[in-house]
Parts: sequence; structure tokens; C-alpha cells
Amino acid sequence: MKNDNNVTYKIIILAIVLLLAFLGGREFYEIRHFKQSIVVSDSFTERFMLSDYSEGIKGTWADTPVYLYDSGEPGGSMLLLGGTHPYEPATMLAAYVAAENISVKKGKVYIIPAANYSAMTLGILGNAYPKYYTLDTEWGSKKFRIGDRNTNPLDQWPDPFTYVHYPSTQNLAYQDIRNLNRTYPGRPDGALTERVSYAIMELIRKENIDLYVDMHEASLMYPVVSTYVAHDRSLDICMMASMTLSAEQFPIKCEASPKSLRGLSHREVGDFSDTLAVLMETAEPFIDRVAGRITEELMITGKDEFLQTASEAGLLYCQPEYDINFGSPIHYRVGRHLSGTMEVIKWMNEFFPEKEIIVGFPLYADLMEKGAGYFLHDPEKADENKLFYN
Amino acid sequence: MLFLTEVIHQIYFIMAAVFALLLLRGLFKRNTRKTLIYDVVYAYSIIPFLLRALHIK
Repeated sequence: MKNDNNVTYKIIILAIVLLLAFLGGREFYEIRHFKQSIVVSDSFTERFMLSDYSEGIKGTWADTPVYLYDSGEPGGSMLLLGGTHPYEPATMLAAYVAAENISVKKGKVYIIPAANYSAMTLGILGNAYPKYYTLDTEWGSKKFRIGDRNTNPLDQWPDPFTYVHYPSTQNLAYQDIRNLNRTYPGRPDGALTERVSYAIMELIRKENIDLYVDMHEASLMYPVVSTYVAHDRSLDICMMASMTLSAEQFPIKCEASPKSLRGLSHREVGDFSDTLAVLMETAEPFIDRVAGRITEELMITGKDEFLQTASEAGLLYCQPEYDINFGSPIHYRVGRHLSGTMEVIKWMNEFFPEKEIIVGFPLYADLMEKGAGYFLHDPEKADENKLFYN
Repeated sequence: MLFLTEVIHQIYFIMAAVFALLLLRGLFKRNTRKTLIYDVVYAYSIIPFLLRALHIK
């Protein structure tokens, strides 16, 4: 009789645990399968998958859509990357705003809103980070996913004890084998993230991409925040862009890509192709270690009293200096990325007229005036040929 | 190399399923630590292995 009772208790406990597993698992399942609408602009030409350039990622969660805007007018070409680290969501939002509003009069523009798609399919581990944020638009609210930094372990596992970067053989942190910005130039038969890097390199090489812009966000205590990081060949255009923007719109630093730091896009993409490689960083309080409660509001507004204290103690590197009255709102970060991109295009056109691209999309002043939601279009009213899900 | 990588990757899912089954067996049939609290521990510990085996987390 006692044994029967024991079994009954165990079954009840198991049922409760399975219910908890279902409730938790449902949230994980939802974020993995969440789809983001994108209403492409009138300049849109074609959407294809990155695996068209390297079979190694075909059919995997790392394969990601590429949006092409071809003016038909001979000129230069550029690749704009958001979501290399999806836990830096202003980069993806900047790519969405560009993709939904861009006009291309000369040359070609390729946009990849979620460069590491797999990393977008899970939330950030630890610290009770929110999984989504919501923006107000002209037609209602729109929900966005906040992903993680590295490729989902469901798609690439196990990590090695030491990650040996290919081809430099430099030893890097073990988890960086799932970090898209440590695996360039990649290889066709490597780990999944290396294969993504390789596919992006193949796109750059096969399409003769002239300008490569990789958007990122950084914690305010990271010295490279609010900065262009430029490969040797793109240093001139980035210096000019930095000076122009700093004088006319907002302060942004410029640094040369270190030659001994391997695997990063601003180094390897420039070394292993002919493109002008540029990386940009904005200030994202959400990922700062000293920030207080990590909430959706912090993601949207960037206002945090602990960061204000850190700023007063001179511990932050962002420019302009952090002020809690303004914070670092997401539309400001998107605006910085878009104007930062436009400025390097402008200076590339000056330095290399044969690579000229004539393009238009919302810029810093537009974002500061109208917010980011204003530039996102209603998927329910969109032409079905222009509506995609990322 | 791609094939080997995939095989190793899949082995981890199989291992997760095996651990989940071992814990399930331990929940119903074990010789030591027979109190109720250990039933809870065994049952609760199944969750991460189950979610991994099902490709959810």
C-alpha cells in the first residue's frame, strides 16, 4: 500500500515538472520560431538566401535572407550587415529601417538584417533579460526579438576547449567559435558559424562588393563604443566620415583595425577580399555590466542611474558623454548607424568615383525627429510582393 | 569534416535523451535517497535534458 502511494506521489511530481517544462519550453519555442515582417521599399529587386553563395549553411538555422536593391545603373556595390550579434538589436532595426525605405539611384545595395540568424533564435543567457521589445508605429505596435551574442547551441555544439582561429591559428576564447565576429574569413567545411562567415565572404568576393558595413552595439564601458573601426584601405574614408559627422551631427571616433586581432570582420573581410571593410559601434546600455534592472524600457530608452554614476566617475567611453536625461534611446542608435553608413558611402564616392553609389534612406535627423517606428510599414496593408518574413 | 561535426552534434542530443531517461528511471527505481525531496530533485533535473533532447533549448 505504501509503495502504491509512493508511485502516486512520483507520478504527481513528474506531471507537475512536465507542466513546468511545457510552460518554459513554450517560451523557448516561441522565440526560436518568431518571424519578423519586413515591407521592402520600391527599390527592391530580389530576395535570396545566403546559402546561394555557400552550400554549407543550406537547410540550417544559420541560413539567412539577403535583400538586394539594384538600381540597374552601373556603379559601386555595398553590403550592409545587421544582427552579427543579435543582442545588439539597433543594428537589426537599422537594417529594417533601411530595407523598408531605401532608394537606390546608382549601384547596388545588399542588406542582411540578421547576419547570424541562429543567434537571433534564443534569448540572452542569465540576468533575466527580456526576450522582446516593442516599438510604437503609425499603425500600431511592432514586436522585435532580442537575440543572443553567439550562435544557438542547438545549432552548433559542443564548443572546443580552445578555439583555434582559421587560418591564423590564433587561440581565442572557446565560446567565440560561435561568435560570427570572430570566425571570419571562415571556411566551407568548418563549424556552422565559420560556414556563415565563409558564405558572407563568398557573397563579397563573387559580387565584387566595394563597401562592407558591419553594424554593432557596445557597452558604454567598452573603449571602442561610438566608433568606426576601419580596415587599412577604408581608414581614409572612415577618418573623413568621423570628422564630418563629429563636426556636423554627433561625435563618433575612428580607430584602425588591429592587425594582430584575428577573426573580426574589420580585419579579415578586408584582408580576404578587395572590399572596404568598416565596423560601427553605438552605445547600448542594455548590455552594460553595471546597469540596473535589465528591462525592455532600458532597451528602448537607455536610461539607467547606475550608468549615470559611472559616467560621473569618468568610467564610460561613449561620446557624447552619457546623460540620464537623454539616455541612449534606440531611435538615436539607429540614426547614428544610418548616418554613419551614409557618411562612409559619401566619402567612398569622393575617394573612389568609380565605386559611386547614390542611395537614400532615413538619417539621424529623421530618426531623432520621428522615431524609428515611423519608418516601419504596416505588413497588413503591404503589397504581397513586397512583404517578407525574416 | 562536416559529416563528423554533424555526428558529434547529434550525439549530444542523444546523450541528453539518455540522461533524461536515466533520471526518469532514478525517479521511480532507486536504492538510496528514497525521500520525497529526492523525487522532486530527480523529476526537476529531467527538464533541461528533455528540452535539449526535443531541440527546444
